[in-house]
Amino acid sequence: MGVLEIILIVACAAIVIGVITASIIKKKQGKCSCDCGGDCAHCAACMAAQKKKQSKNI
Amino acid sequence: MKRFALAGNPNCGKTTLFNSLTGATAHVGNWPGVTVDKRDGVYKKCAEPVQIVDLPGIYSLSPYTPEEVIARNYILDEKPDCVINIVDATNLERNLYLTTQVLEMDVPVVVALNMMDAVKKAGDSINAKLLEERLGVPVVEISALKETGLKELMDKAFNESKKIREGQTVLETSPLGHLIGDVKIALKGQNVANPLFHAVKLVEQDEIEAEMHKETLPMVEDFKKTYNDDIFGTDFEALVADARYKYISSNFASVLSKKSKDKTQMSKSDKADKVLTHKWWGIPIFLLILFGIFHLTFGEDLLYLGKIFSLPSLEDLGLLDEDGEAINFGVRILATFYDGAVMSPGVWINNVWNDLIVGEFFGWLGGIVEESGMAPWAIGLINNGIFDGISAVLSFLPPILVLFLFFSILEDSGYMARIAFILDRMFRRFGLSGRAFMPMIMGFGCSVPAMINTRTLADDKERTATVRVIPFFSCGAKLPILTAVAGAIVAFFGVGNADVITFSMYVLGIVTAIVCVLLMRSTTLKGETPPFIMELPTYHMPQFKNLMAHLWDKTKHFVKKAFTIILASTIVIWALTHFSFNWTFLEDEQVNESILAGIAQLVQPIFTPLGFGSQLGQYGWVFVVAAVAGLIAKENVIATFATLAACLMAVVGLDFGELAIDAEDGIDAVQAMIQATGITIPGLIAFIAFNMTTIPCFAAVATAKAELGNKSTYHWTLVFWLVASYVVAAIIYTVGSWWWTIFIWAVVCAGVVGCIIWRNKMAAKRLN
Amino acid sequence: MEKTLDNFSIGETGIVKMVAGEGKIKRRLFDMGITPGAEVFLRKKAPLGDPIEITLRGYELTLRKSEAACVTVEVKA
Repeated sequence: MGVLEIILIVACAAIVIGVITASIIKKKQGKCSCDCGGDCAHCAACMAAQKKKQSKNI
Repeated sequence: MKRFALAGNPNCGKTTLFNSLTGATAHVGNWPGVTVDKRDGVYKKCAEPVQIVDLPGIYSLSPYTPEEVIARNYILDEKPDCVINIVDATNLERNLYLTTQVLEMDVPVVVALNMMDAVKKAGDSINAKLLEERLGVPVVEISALKETGLKELMDKAFNESKKIREGQTVLETSPLGHLIGDVKIALKGQNVANPLFHAVKLVEQDEIEAEMHKETLPMVEDFKKTYNDDIFGTDFEALVADARYKYISSNFASVLSKKSKDKTQMSKSDKADKVLTHKWWGIPIFLLILFGIFHLTFGEDLLYLGKIFSLPSLEDLGLLDEDGEAINFGVRILATFYDGAVMSPGVWINNVWNDLIVGEFFGWLGGIVEESGMAPWAIGLINNGIFDGISAVLSFLPPILVLFLFFSILEDSGYMARIAFILDRMFRRFGLSGRAFMPMIMGFGCSVPAMINTRTLADDKERTATVRVIPFFSCGAKLPILTAVAGAIVAFFGVGNADVITFSMYVLGIVTAIVCVLLMRSTTLKGETPPFIMELPTYHMPQFKNLMAHLWDKTKHFVKKAFTIILASTIVIWALTHFSFNWTFLEDEQVNESILAGIAQLVQPIFTPLGFGSQLGQYGWVFVVAAVAGLIAKENVIATFATLAACLMAVVGLDFGELAIDAEDGIDAVQAMIQATGITIPGLIAFIAFNMTTIPCFAAVATAKAELGNKSTYHWTLVFWLVASYVVAAIIYTVGSWWWTIFIWAVVCAGVVGCIIWRNKMAAKRLN
Repeated sequence: MEKTLDNFSIGETGIVKMVAGEGKIKRRLFDMGITPGAEVFLRKKAPLGDPIEITLRGYELTLRKSEAACVTVEVKA
């Protein structure tokens, strides 16, 4: 296996893990999982999550 | 940071103002109720940055619809530093009704007179100075669209926000003035914030208020016993509303000076309306417009010119060589919009994008990879796994955007609201109001905003029913499945017509939705048909800027998705198809020994009644995988096709060479799958139908969960989607394969309908 | 002459006398400006005869016949 192949495998693994962790982090941060761009104001899920966060802060 | 809230009637231009102020591209449309939740942005041109909050449009601060409660609670609980009340100057009277309510709160208010340009154009004028005097708060003339007066508005609002304002009411002089004053003093004694506002609402016997201030309620009750109005009796809610309008018409009539106009004279909007909502032509015109949109997006023979004039094909003209390839670059360009027929704009853009841009680009990239000297498996992963998957998804960008553009135009022009008007009578038969039409038609774009938009529906049961059927209105991401499979059916079996198949699948979705709504509304979600009282906005030309903003948003979202979720999914699927359970690498030909095949073959029998299960033999599991991958995001279906087809081509080997008629990733891929599995036409149609009606993508499921609120309703919704898709696909497959099974289904349906009618009759009897 | 709004024919104008009906619907009608004294003009009916479209207070409003039946109107000659 050459250098190129190793880079390829690492890159692929990075993409898959990246996408999964990004969505988990998004959810943890209270942004919605509905990939409407993260904090779409359209979305009830983020609103509810934001409210929760606010009440925690208080 | 200071916070300013934008409040005003639906469709008065709040969101347009919000976009102009913050540079955002929030969705704007010309019908009441586009914004159903608050959103915020930042305005930077004041002395210091200001946070702008766009509230949903409301007519009143009554507690009856969710949007009204959102707006009301925001102003009361979150205490913005200033409320900018946007007033549509073309519709002063009704807009000021809300203003009189906002003024009762203890919050600085600035009134923005929007659409002043339209008023002036009509030859009318509004005396803003006089209005300012009478209202007691600053009034600024603006045009949110042309972005005039915005700086002045924000400066005034900024000044006001430094002051403290006490609420005032126009009801002081009304018969209830005394009572309101007394209740206010009582509430003030209890240290309630916004005493005047709460006092008025308490007098109106508003549900939320009565709950909050139980102690003070007897005061109102006592007064009620001693009071009786000639017209309204003791209906204080009505009395208050009436007093407000009376005050407005007597005090603000002099503010507006209308150019004396002949009543019979019709504006442009009236003329358009006369045709579009005509007694006889209204519905046919609506259907024609819908068909026209699909024709302009997918039609390969624009206006059927090719058929009518029997235009010569490129081959007849001798512009193709023996392999069916264009003889030079000019012909290639010609081929994008002409081949024996003029193609519709949608198809033309699609061809340019796919043949000349995406096709060339990925072909070029693929060439580089081939020559890089990497191991064959690595080249396979990049070219057949990643590139095929992504380009298959990207190739569907044009039709999605074109279709979306047309729907945006309909929405922006004000025609959508008329469709609700035209269709209300029909919708009522199914137990819905015409308003439910709007979220449904939005579903053709994307289920997520559509489901959120159901908030404009006041009735909970109607909302649940609507949310459940929204996925049946085939969204942009499902379109690739339709066109790829339909294209493959035409190319492989040589039957039918691709755009007719696509169109009829859309119709199938609509019919399924209607049947399901009928079933739900007469069984689990029974209820009265909710009322339908709606403003019809004036028609106007769609704003170019606005349309482009919609399209740009959609494109960004789509491309982002292709390079994140879809890319990751294709890599995972490639890996699962190229490794066996004992982690040894497999060649393309050994795909049947892969992990994915192993898992998929286990569930394959479940899909046998739908035509893409066990009867497809050893490679039949590919359809199962595609359908399951589609549960994450529907774009995945076509990306999976492309990735798996690469393996199947290796399996069917040479056969594919003769198959490659036309180069379009998705269609080719499906043809390879047909070749390998021997799936029948009914099976393919059932496969599309299954994908269209089953659990939609992750995003839509998350939204449904949030919107339905109730856990058990949500779980039943998931069950509903699974059952509905299974039954629909099963009916299509069995009837398509053996026509006589239609009788069996008819008997089953009759039985179900009979049961429901019998049960309802029994229930009615028990009630009597 | 007095009649309910659902019995209006196209082109008729009248002054609202009374609004009946159950809480939610009545409130909605009031909020939209259908209060005693308001002038209403029946512009048109939908293709299937229902709902109807009226002009009042300078804008267009659509409502169903069943809701219009709550509104009593004095017909203007």
